[in-house]
Order: sequence, then C-alpha cells, then structure tokens
Amino acid sequence: MHSTQEKRYDYRITVSLEPENQTLVFDRLKTVLQLLNRIGRKPGRVLVIRDGQLLTPDLILAPGDKILVRDVGSKG
Amino acid sequence: MKCTRCKIPAVVALPSHNAAFCKDCYLLFAQRLVERAIKEHQMCDHADRILVAISGGKDSLALSWQLKTLGYDISGLHIDLGIPESSPIARQYSERFCDKYEIPLHVLQMTDLHLSMKEVKKRVKRPICSVCGQVKRYFFNKFAVENQFSVVATGHNLDDETSRLLANVMRWDMDYLHDLGPVMPAKKGFAKKIKPLFRLSEFETANLCFLAGIDYGYAPCPYSSKASFPVYKNLLLDLEDIQPGRKIHFYDGFLKRGRKGFMPMDDEDITVHPCVECGYPTSTGQCGVCRLRSTMS
Repeated sequence: MHSTQEKRYDYRITVSLEPENQTLVFDRLKTVLQLLNRIGRKPGRVLVIRDGQLLTPDLILAPGDKILVRDVGSKG
Repeated sequence: MKCTRCKIPAVVALPSHNAAFCKDCYLLFAQRLVERAIKEHQMCDHADRILVAISGGKDSLALSWQLKTLGYDISGLHIDLGIPESSPIARQYSERFCDKYEIPLHVLQMTDLHLSMKEVKKRVKRPICSVCGQVKRYFFNKFAVENQFSVVATGHNLDDETSRLLANVMRWDMDYLHDLGPVMPAKKGFAKKIKPLFRLSEFETANLCFLAGIDYGYAPCPYSSKASFPVYKNLLLDLEDIQPGRKIHFYDGFLKRGRKGFMPMDDEDITVHPCVECGYPTSTGQCGVCRLRSTMS
C-alpha cells in the first residue's frame, strides 16, 4: 500500500531569538531587514546568523532558512 | 552588500562608518580602532604589564583577545561576585577563554571575603550596582598595585562611555564629567586605567567576538534591572539610527572640546590618604570597601 502523501519540504523560515530562547516561524520573508522589522528589532542591535555566517540587512532569505537572531546588548 | 575594502560579499554593515566589511577586513578594521585608541591616548606600550578586568562577557573577552593578538603582556583578573544565577556561568566563560588563549587568569572570590553580592544586597540600602562597581574597582586596583601591574584595562565600549557621558550631562555632574575619559593616569595609590575599546560600539564588539570565534557568556545579572544607564544607552541607540555616527562624534567632541570646560576652577585637590584599615587610597579615614566589610561583619 502506497501513501498518497508525498514528503513535504518545509518552506517556512524558522527564527530563533537569543537570549529569550524563543522560536518563531514565518511563511514569507524576503530579506533580513524584513525579518527584523517583523520581530521588532533593529539592525545595529542584533547579530543575524545563518549556518554559522553573519548576514547583512540587505541579504535575501531562502525558503527553509533557519535564522538565529542574537541580541548584542549587555544586561549588566 | 560588498566589502568596502576588498569588494567581496560583506558580513557586517556599519552605517556609522558608512562601510561594510567581509570577515578578514572587519577583523582588521576592529584591530585598527583599538590600535588608534591606544596610540591617540598613549594608553600603554609593549613594556607594560597589563591587568585586564575579565567578566566573561563579550567586551572583556574581545579586549583580551585583541590585546593578546597585538602582542601585549596581559593577565586577567576575574572577580567572582557570588551571585548564584550568573556568577558561575561568567566564571566558566572566563576560565575557558583564558585557557584557550593561554592568558594567565587570577580569580578573586567575593564569597571568601564575605562580600558576595547576594549577601551585600540584603544588608546595604544603596543601589546594588553602585556597591558592586565600587567593590570591583577596589579589587582591580588593589590587585594591580600589589602585583606590580602598570595598567588596568577594562572592556568599556562606546555605548558604555556615551551613556555614562549623557547621564552625567543630564545631571551636570562636574566631578564625574572632568574625570570621564578613556584613560585615568596613575596617581596616589591608583593604577593607570585604560579603555581601549572605547571606539567600538556594543554591536561592533559582538561582531568581533563572533568573527574571531570567541565564545562569550550572556547570563544577565539578576540585580541589574534597575540600573539607569540602559535608559541612556537606548536613547543614544535611537539617535544613532537616525543619525549614524552621532555617538562617536559626541564622545570625541567631549574629549577634544568639552571636557576641559569641566576641569576644577581652582587648584584645590581632594586630599587622599591611605585607608586606616587596608591602605587603599581614600578621602576619608576608612575606605568604602572597609566600611562595607564592617557592615557585613
């Protein structure tokens, strides 16, 4: 018996926030700047990391990307 | 976005410098900011024995890494503040980092000296951040003087310095304003203090850590929520978003043109004597930390 369901590729973009340890999922995001606007962060206050590499705000995101957004502010 | 220097894809965008950099060019850029700060303000040279205040956070580790990379003779001092929620994590990061980069690390444990911040907070009415700062300054200076270090280096960055400047301007606090700057010369029992990261913002030191592969801790101090400096820091960050480069111009302008206006009008200098208990320089008979110790015992 064959399953009629094919394996689905996850096109959503997963965003992990540090230090909150929170994960958000977005259906459509074009650029890093758009992502930051959606989560209420500003470019000079966070590091945006994909596959161990830093991303600049103009960079285009791809479906299925896993992004880490790390706050750079000292908390004492 | 391309690297301003070598035109390959950039990994860091810096509107305040109207530039973007790839990894290698960013590391060079950060190094040059530190070298410029050291040279411009005659902070130290390669003959100095430098004691770096290492907290385990990004700024102190970035500073230690950069000074070590530049060939300075550095050792670290970590003060374990005895705060259960954050001190063990901070200490682990400090020890791991110094081990990896072969930097001698000294650790002073405040619990052993009956000055753990957890206990101090219960007994003292002053804001805990103020007491903690006083205790750290005391032990960094004392350790440096007693162990023949010629310079104490701290990881204060541009955001720390400009928020402190703005806070003191808002209070027109003349004494603090005339003392504010990236170098405090050695005098009367105080070691020379330097802040070689003052040209780098928090964002820039975070990028430096990431690109240099420095693993830093960000366990926040549970007692710092009432500190006032973050308010000024956020105001300046908002201003920087609208006017990139404003923070460094504010600070540089103060050092070049503003600070001299806050120098004491007369030659009157506060008389400093050795503390009757510990010998630390103080303007009263007993220094602040010895008074704190009396309160704690």
